Amino acid sequence: MLQLDFLDDLRRMNIRQLFYQVLNFAMIVSSALMIWKGLMVVTGSESPIVVVLSGSMEPAFHRGDLLFLTNYDHEPIRAGEIVVFKVEGRDIPIVHRVMKVHEKEDGTVKFLTKGDNNNVDDRGLYANGQAWLNRKDVVGRARGYVPFIGIVTIIMNDYPKFKYAVLAGLGIFVLIHRE
Amino acid sequence: MPEKVVATMEENPPKVNKWDGNALKNALDDAVKDVLLSRFSYIESHKLLDGRLIISSVAVGFSVFALIWDLLYPFPQSRTVMCVCVISYFIMMGVLTWYTTYLECGIFCTALKKDAAGIDPDDVWNASSSLKRFDNKYHLRVTQKAGKTGKAKEARTVLTVENYFDETGKLLYGSVAKEVLRLHSDVEHKKN
Repeated sequence: MLQLDFLDDLRRMNIRQLFYQVLNFAMIVSSALMIWKGLMVVTGSESPIVVVLSGSMEPAFHRGDLLFLTNYDHEPIRAGEIVVFKVEGRDIPIVHRVMKVHEKEDGTVKFLTKGDNNNVDDRGLYANGQAWLNRKDVVGRARGYVPFIGIVTIIMNDYPKFKYAVLAGLGIFVLIHRE
Repeated sequence: MPEKVVATMEENPPKVNKWDGNALKNALDDAVKDVLLSRFSYIESHKLLDGRLIISSVAVGFSVFALIWDLLYPFPQSRTVMCVCVISYFIMMGVLTWYTTYLECGIFCTALKKDAAGIDPDDVWNASSSLKRFDNKYHLRVTQKAGKTGKAKEARTVLTVENYFDETGKLLYGSVAKEVLRLHSDVEHKKN
């Protein structure tokens, strides 16, 4: 009977109210999506916020730190900067420091990276036969960070079932909870 | 398949969790609406809610479009479209807020009283309510706009919620109906 009481609120709704209930859920998801897309446009980076997943940049960044990235074309890449880059064949972007930069007069650039906490540079991480990174590999440059918050993301990724359970729970709550 | 039994709200009043303010308000709103529509030969008008549905649908449409476009043309290419979608989406959110605050103002039911002769425009009855968080005072307002003269009349009341639910949380339909009928006749007999 408990279940009945709990759905009673929904049962009294007419088709329009039910439709709005679904729309309301869609708007919550949309707001998150549009904030993300908005950040993408403003920062020029396809992934304006990333979570540090490894300890390879300690002591600068630790596992679970949240990084804010920008990726403006007019800002040149310089040695010493921390960049986030993608490597072919790897799903997850890497956050490392730029060690060497070669720049031509026409603006094309190639560079080498290394993790502060790693003993060797990143050539071993790049795609087979790749010795340098190019401008197009860059997802963004680190501009700011918030420590520890990203640990939630890491836990979620380590336990995908937990993640889906939380998401499903929140989704159902919003759908069946009337305004 | 079990036979569907349609019980009116009066026969089967809702039971709510009395500590959930939202549920209380929804139950009272539904009861007020039920009284207005069942005791008088009024026809419900869905215009206000339809407006809200259209605004929300357009907003969600922008975000769905942005999502699909970004999949087809990955980011740096889709920049302009993203920009337009994001701005439009947040404008629609602003419109929605404006709509609910200034046009809907808590109106949960619009009922039309058709002119008997079918010549004059309908009388429009609106019921709006508010219940503050953690408060037990349910503010109910009933307004009537005469179709013929365009004159508006209104009556308000404040209901203390615990008087309209029994100890198990069942809505006391009769008590709500009494209040609504009283408000309704107050408005009807009010002189401008």
